[in-house]
Amino acid sequence: MIRTLKLTAIASMMFAAGLATAADTIKIGVTGPYTGGSSSMGVSMRDGVRLAAQEINKAGGVLGKQIQLVERDDEAKNERGVQIAQELINKEQVVATMGFINTGVALASQRFYQEAKIPVFNNVATGSIVTQQFKAPEFPDNYIFRNAAHDSIQAPMIVEEAITRRGFKKVAILADSTNYGQLGRDDLEKALAAKGVKAVAVEKFNVKDVDMTAQLLKAKEAGAEVILTYAIGPELAQIANGMTKLGWKVPMIGSWTLSMANFIDNAGPGGEGARMPQTFIQEPNTMKRKAFIDSYLKTFKPKNNRIDSPVSAAQGYDSVYLLTAAIKQAGTTEGPKVREALENLQTKVEGVVTTYDKPFTHDDHEAITANIPVFGEVKGSRVVYAYEEDRKKGSDIRTKVAKQPAKK
Amino acid sequence: MEILLQLIYSGIALGMIYAVIAFGYQLTFATSDTLNFGQGEALMLGALVGLTLVDSLGVNYWLAIPVVGAFGMLQGALVERIGVRPAIKIKSEFGWIMSTIALGIIFKNVAENIWGRDDLKFPSPLPEAPMKILGANVLPMELLVIAGALVMMLAVEFFNRKTIYGKAVVATFNDRDAAKLMGINTGLVITFSYALSSLTASFAGVLIAPLTLTGATMGAVLGLKAFAVAIIGGLTSGMGIIVGGIILGVAETTTGFYISTGYKDVPGLVLLLLVLAVKPAGLFGKPAIKKV
Repeated sequence: MIRTLKLTAIASMMFAAGLATAADTIKIGVTGPYTGGSSSMGVSMRDGVRLAAQEINKAGGVLGKQIQLVERDDEAKNERGVQIAQELINKEQVVATMGFINTGVALASQRFYQEAKIPVFNNVATGSIVTQQFKAPEFPDNYIFRNAAHDSIQAPMIVEEAITRRGFKKVAILADSTNYGQLGRDDLEKALAAKGVKAVAVEKFNVKDVDMTAQLLKAKEAGAEVILTYAIGPELAQIANGMTKLGWKVPMIGSWTLSMANFIDNAGPGGEGARMPQTFIQEPNTMKRKAFIDSYLKTFKPKNNRIDSPVSAAQGYDSVYLLTAAIKQAGTTEGPKVREALENLQTKVEGVVTTYDKPFTHDDHEAITANIPVFGEVKGSRVVYAYEEDRKKGSDIRTKVAKQPAKK
Repeated sequence: MEILLQLIYSGIALGMIYAVIAFGYQLTFATSDTLNFGQGEALMLGALVGLTLVDSLGVNYWLAIPVVGAFGMLQGALVERIGVRPAIKIKSEFGWIMSTIALGIIFKNVAENIWGRDDLKFPSPLPEAPMKILGANVLPMELLVIAGALVMMLAVEFFNRKTIYGKAVVATFNDRDAAKLMGINTGLVITFSYALSSLTASFAGVLIAPLTLTGATMGAVLGLKAFAVAIIGGLTSGMGIIVGGIILGVAETTTGFYISTGYKDVPGLVLLLLVLAVKPAGLFGKPAIKKV
């Protein structure tokens, strides 16, 4: 006990020394894939974070200090993520880190932050277990937070859309062989089982595969009426292109990655009509959203005025405001205090996805609940609201439902 | 039956993609006993240069091909001069392996800086609607790849057998020192074979890009599969490359359908091991007897 106390004392002294050298700025790590197959999410997230940090700095910063972003490209590789985590913690001595697009990278890297008691804000990665990795009771405190729609929200939404709303009876699942795809497939199968449905075909493929004939033919032969997907942009595009080639067209419904620009662009007409859960759709239906979209387009000038991944940009933007609200409330940048403040946030944070009113508690680190995402659809190479009633009510802010159903 | 036909069609198309890349391995092996392990990257550079020409500069697809080919020749000659020649000079057995891999990585990084690392769409020069042949679907672009592979095979065989330059190439392969004594500039022949090898790779890149998506990382997996095809078919036979490609492609699609998509790469690799164990020169290769 005494030893741990001593260690804590030494650690906090070192921490204070670290702070003293960089006292004029608050360093926040930003990690994500800015290159490669998931870069449209990574870059949009980073740009959303930059935009928010800029605005906050213009308004005087946090605790009288300017925010300094330390951006690192993890290339969607687990080992890069681990290196970056160590660099950000030990060398850069960040106050917190936001980002993580890829579930695998998040799972590999987070433990270093957890051990260093530095909060992590997952603003894009959706794997269900991301925030459960350091759950009570084994770990007294969990430093992992998230403001993205996790897979155990998305999978039931996808199944609800396919089975209940659109009445399909035979479904096929196509997922890639990464952590993301296989954990998602698992969630999909569970959600289907809850409806008493068993997928007629469950197929997988590797990242960079160029031919999907075998997978699609199996789904077709099994009589699938709809394809549920869990993969990222380029391979999703190969699925759509493969269907065009086979002259077989059934709807694609899948995780939110179907909104990625590299899916929409590479699939072309084959990608039209694909549907996916979205926490944010690029439509200026509230003042806050309009301001966000306008300044994003003005600052980063994306092609055709289309944000490559609007969801990532919006969640990245919101995550900075959530974190700074907590730092303000804590009055310090010490990890444990910031965590406590996040778990008991007194001020309402108005974001572009939703208005966050007490988004986290000690045991619940998910800011997004099942009622928040809506269905988006690819139409004319953009993601729009899939349902007219959602579009009409788009300006109503959907806020977190306090009591979540218990999940595993 | 229709299913099997579709699987075979797709397998052949996939195999031909591998085959057009595999030719490049053969060309350099035929002169210097060395391989360019940056073949996948040469392919990627060809595809990206082609994309810039077609997409940004508005050049017609067919007119872009010779330009890309010329670029490929330069790139191949560069690889030989920087990476392979020093290794051959000091009679290093493995130096060229490292240097061609290193050059491949450098090319990939350069491409990432110029074109980014996202996968881009290569506009298809042919209609993208599938055609029905005997009850199964084929894309016009796939037919073009098959035609391209056959043309390449014929051109390479014709060049080696019928032209004086081809004979120089064959002579260089058979006995470099004797060829030198006969007045053949073997150094130039080897440089030329590398230029030719990258030419075929970049041509292959432009040919397959409309089917595979284009990007700096496209070369890695395809280059490796093509290497397997070159080994299965034999590094000295044009026919072998075509057959090897078809075998690997069809094995992938049929295993994917009839066994499991999770195991689709396994039979091809098992075949590779079998060939190496039983007939190391490849199914169609002539066993080279080296007298020491």
